[in-house]
Amino acid sequence: MKKFALSILLLSILPTFSTVGGVRRFTFLYEANTSAPGSLELENWVTWQRATGPGRFDQVDFRHELEYGVTDKFQVSVYLADWLYEAHPEHSGFVYSDSAIELIYNLTNPVVDPVGLSIYGELRAGDRLIELESKMIAQKNFGPLILAYNATLESVWKGHDLAEREGELSQALGASYEFSPRISAGLELLHELVFPEWRDNGHIRNFFVGPNVSYRTRNWFVTVTALAQATDTEGEPDFQLRTIFGVGL
Amino acid sequence: MRKLLIFAMALICLVDLSSCGTAFAPPPITTALAHTGSGQHPDLVMLREGRALFVSRCIECHTLPPFWHYRSEDWPQIVDTMAERAKLKRAERDAIVAYILTVRTQ
Repeated sequence: MKKFALSILLLSILPTFSTVGGVRRFTFLYEANTSAPGSLELENWVTWQRATGPGRFDQVDFRHELEYGVTDKFQVSVYLADWLYEAHPEHSGFVYSDSAIELIYNLTNPVVDPVGLSIYGELRAGDRLIELESKMIAQKNFGPLILAYNATLESVWKGHDLAEREGELSQALGASYEFSPRISAGLELLHELVFPEWRDNGHIRNFFVGPNVSYRTRNWFVTVTALAQATDTEGEPDFQLRTIFGVGL
Repeated sequence: MRKLLIFAMALICLVDLSSCGTAFAPPPITTALAHTGSGQHPDLVMLREGRALFVSRCIECHTLPPFWHYRSEDWPQIVDTMAERAKLKRAERDAIVAYILTVRTQ
C-alpha cells in the first residue's frame, strides 16, 4: 500500500515539471472570472481519494480539459476524458468514466462590483452515465485576499437503462491570499448533501476541509488542495488530494 | 429566532465586507481624473476601457497591485510582459497603460 501511495504522489507531482494557464487558486471551487477571449488552455486534474475502515479504497481520478475564452464574459470547456484508477480490496484497475462540456458566463466583476457572480452549466456523458450540473459562483477580491463561494446542484442518471438516480447539493467556500504574484495559499471547505434516488433517507452529509497552495509562472500554474473529511461517512474518502496543472496554449 | 439572528449577522458581515471591498477597487474614470491625471488628456472612452480591461484581464493570473507599487516609467513594460498572456491587442494594452498612468499621477 505504501508503494501505491508513493506512486500516486509521484503521479500527482511529475506533470508539474513537464507541463506549462488562467490561473486557478482553488481546486474544489471555481472562480467568477472567465478566460480572456481567444485564449486556449489545457488543464490536467489528478485527484487521489483514500478511504480507510471496512469499506477502504484508493481511487485516482484523472481529467484532461481544454478551456477556451469565447468572449470577455463567456468560456467553454471540454473534458476530453475523465478516467480513473481504483484499488479496492476485491478488485483494481483503470476505468474510463466520461467526457463533458462546461459553460461559464460571468455576470459581475469581483473587483469593482459588490460581488462577482458567474453561472455554470455542465453536461457529462459516459458509459451508462449522464450528469447535469449547475452552479452559482460568487467571488470577492479584497486586495490580495480572494474569497469564493460555490453552490452546486447535480443530477445523475446511471446504471443499466440509466435507472439509478442521484441528486447532490453542495456548497464550497474558499479563501486564498496572494503572498506574491506567483504564490497564493489558503483554505477550502466543502459541504455535500447526497440524495440517492432523490430521497434523503440516508441523511448523507459530508464535510471536508483543508489547505490549498498555488504557484504560477508566465505560462503555467499548479494548484494543490488537500482535504480531510470532518464527518464520518462510510464509503466517502477520508482524505482527498487534488492537483490541477494548467498550461496556456 | 436564533437561526434568524445568525443569518442576519452573516448578512450584515457580508454587506460590510462588500463595502470594504470597494476600497480596493481601482478608481472609476471621471472627467476631472482624466484631465488632471496624465496631462495628456486621453479620451474618456479609452480610459474607461482601460479600467474595464485592468479589472478583468489582469485578475485571471494575479490580484491587482496598488498603483504606487511600481514607478510610472516601469508600468508600460510591466504591462507589455503580460500582454500576450492576457491576449491583449495593442489598443487594449495602450488603454490599460493610459488608465494606470492617469491614476498613478494623481
